[in-house]
Amino acid sequence: MSVLETRNIVKTYPGTIALNDVSVSFESGKVHALVGKNGSGKSTLVKIFSGAIEPTRGEILIDGVRMNFSDPRDAFAKGIATVYQELSLVPGLTVAENILIGRLPMRGRFVDWKKTFAIADELLKEMNVDIPPDEVVYNLSVWQCQMVEIVKAMSFRPKVLQLDEPTSALAQHEIQALFKMIRELKKKDVVIIYVTHRLHELWQIADTCTVLRDGCLIGTIPMQEATHKDIIKMMFGDVEIHTRPHDLKVEDDVVLEVKDLTRKNKFENISFRLKKGEILGIAGMLGSGRTELLKSIFGADPFDSGEIYINGQRIFSPSPVKMKKAGLALTSEDRKHEGLNQIASIKDNLCIASLDLIAKGAFIQKHRENEFAQRQVNELNIKVSDIRDSVSSLSGGNQQKVVVGNWLNTNPKVIFFDEPSRGIDVKAKQQIFQIIWEQSRKGVSSIMVSSELEELLEVCHRILIMREGRIVGEIKPEEVKIEELYSLCMGGEKN
Amino acid sequence: MKTNELGLNTNKLNTNKLNRSKLNIKKITNKYMLEIILLSIVIIMTFTSRGFFTTANLLNILRNMSLQGVIAFGMTMVIIAGEIDLSIGSTVALSGVIIALTTGRLEKAGIMPMEQGVWIGILLAFIAAGLFGLFNGFLLTKFKMPSFIITLAMLNALYGLAAVLSKGFPVTTLPKWYDVFGAGQVFGVIPVPAIILLAVFAIVFIVMTYTKFGRSVYAVGGNPEAARLSGINVKFVKIVCLVVVQLCAALSGLLVSSQVMSGAFSFGRGWEMTAISSAIIGGASLSGGIGKVWGTLVGLIILGVINNSMTLLGVDEYVQYIVRGLLILIAVLINTIQTQKKD
Repeated sequence: MSVLETRNIVKTYPGTIALNDVSVSFESGKVHALVGKNGSGKSTLVKIFSGAIEPTRGEILIDGVRMNFSDPRDAFAKGIATVYQELSLVPGLTVAENILIGRLPMRGRFVDWKKTFAIADELLKEMNVDIPPDEVVYNLSVWQCQMVEIVKAMSFRPKVLQLDEPTSALAQHEIQALFKMIRELKKKDVVIIYVTHRLHELWQIADTCTVLRDGCLIGTIPMQEATHKDIIKMMFGDVEIHTRPHDLKVEDDVVLEVKDLTRKNKFENISFRLKKGEILGIAGMLGSGRTELLKSIFGADPFDSGEIYINGQRIFSPSPVKMKKAGLALTSEDRKHEGLNQIASIKDNLCIASLDLIAKGAFIQKHRENEFAQRQVNELNIKVSDIRDSVSSLSGGNQQKVVVGNWLNTNPKVIFFDEPSRGIDVKAKQQIFQIIWEQSRKGVSSIMVSSELEELLEVCHRILIMREGRIVGEIKPEEVKIEELYSLCMGGEKN
Repeated sequence: MKTNELGLNTNKLNTNKLNRSKLNIKKITNKYMLEIILLSIVIIMTFTSRGFFTTANLLNILRNMSLQGVIAFGMTMVIIAGEIDLSIGSTVALSGVIIALTTGRLEKAGIMPMEQGVWIGILLAFIAAGLFGLFNGFLLTKFKMPSFIITLAMLNALYGLAAVLSKGFPVTTLPKWYDVFGAGQVFGVIPVPAIILLAVFAIVFIVMTYTKFGRSVYAVGGNPEAARLSGINVKFVKIVCLVVVQLCAALSGLLVSSQVMSGAFSFGRGWEMTAISSAIIGGASLSGGIGKVWGTLVGLIILGVINNSMTLLGVDEYVQYIVRGLLILIAVLINTIQTQKKD
């Protein structure tokens, strides 16, 4: 029996408090769920346990002994193992090598392979994991890698095992296999901390649920006593939802229509209509197929069946080139890797999508290029000292504005905003929303995807709810509370 | 007191000004580092070797550089697009062989005298090179094979093809006038290859600096996914670059075969090195998205001048290889350090 405990943990960053006076304790032999919406502080707490960050104040105790972790290796040595969302296995090595990496059994100066496989085999069997130790990790699927990670972590006989969003990349039957393994783990006298955003899983796997909101500990309840509604209420509290400006109008013309769009294993039979000036939200959890849907409509990813109409015209085999011509725009959720050319200037990044409009024939017109870049800098209020500076010198919010500006330069009719507020501060968020509304006033329609449901309620005219690749409902922001929307996205009952 | 304060103030102002001008000098030296290096070498050589700064020698440098140099500009495009072509040396050889063989066969068959037949040969050489570029581009974009491997394989395959076609011997069936490309002179002094080199430079410079396509190449090399999602046809851009570098190699093959008046499979060996080093010395980044056509020209001249200087100074031929190799390492090192500083 061991206990992991925190006393009055505080973590502050310049300008924000990530954790505020959190005192909580977790005992071994149970799965303790740690939940909270984005920015609630749950990842911060996990990182403090794993030694990745140090608390500003407060203490951590294992079995009543005060701990001071200087780095992750230190935390690991003292019995806290963490399996992260991003897996850390080496794809080219075997399962056995991955489990025993850094401590392979030796025979003189050489690796004792026989012993290596024997030890790994034993560890795998102990956890009832049916993966051959000589299999190369490259050939394993994500959930199998997940299991190997857990076996590896458990082989150090830790007192605490942290699992950070282990199911986010898994399919239903894979989740069940993983759960089976986790239930086995409970017998091993280890404190299991389970971080997730999939609430409905909690009743299957967790014994207690600890809720954080805005850095504060709201409480811990045993799962048997908890209802869906309780947990959601703890997560959200009483949030004030802002409403969109009243002058935004939706006209009757349908600008974009999608009929029965299907991409296998990503989304199925998606149909909707988008009207002129309308801002349509798509709500759903990570992995519900929102981003994939936008990308397929935009022609960046393929789809298997279905039809897409722009202004009543069917578009056959779409590609980004074609869709841009037809008046579509897409600002990617991944600014860094998909949105911007980080080594190029702000000006170049503002003019990449609109080269056709800037050039006369094959040649770039320099004055137009400057005009185009300057226009967006002024209209979107992008803070720059010189538009020839590298775009990577800008803050997240300003980079996001550059991504949007790049597309506004193409004079689009429909803009897809995929997680437009990710990684930017509150003020910049509001500015991005203003931009979306301003486009609506100009008759430009938008589709907005966001994990922050309150943002959708604030910005959109109408919200589609997506779950496991399907549209399962449609709501108007005026008619629904945030908790209800959250339940709808999670797939829990409405009450 | 007053004057004292005033004096202090002006002093401060002065130091400010000094700082600013210092900064400017640093900026300028950074910006024109290549040009400064080139100038320094030229000045040093002018004083150390009497034969260096003579019209004859300078023209000689120009002529020697031109043959390999035309490829460097196509290579710069490919590198900016984030790819590489290692096969060009073999294309140089194969082009010469194709031109000479076609000319000879056409005459032998009585279809066309060599004087005209050579044009068909030249046309065929360029078509072949274009097809190689398309083929490389096809493998790259369709199967996502790395261009490094594709073109490394092609380097060997085309070398073998040139040897097989020429049966291992130089093919000399070329009309007399053909030497005008490689050995001709305009106004009796300026070598024709130098003019061709400058023409290729000018075209690539204009394309990369002033056209839509040029911008696309930078965008594709800088971040292919961002470019694709911005509605740029990434595959098309990459294929065009790979075709252009092959056409440049065919042009180089034309110049060499004209200068030597024969086509042989041994031409162009290792020339990819010159093309790639010029681009890299000129500031191009092998990870794509960064590079300047002007820089490549300066890089090319630096290489040419260093080669020539070493020969004039009587440096052993094999030692020259060592120097060239180290030169590239230093160039890349400087580039890497500079980009790391930026981050």
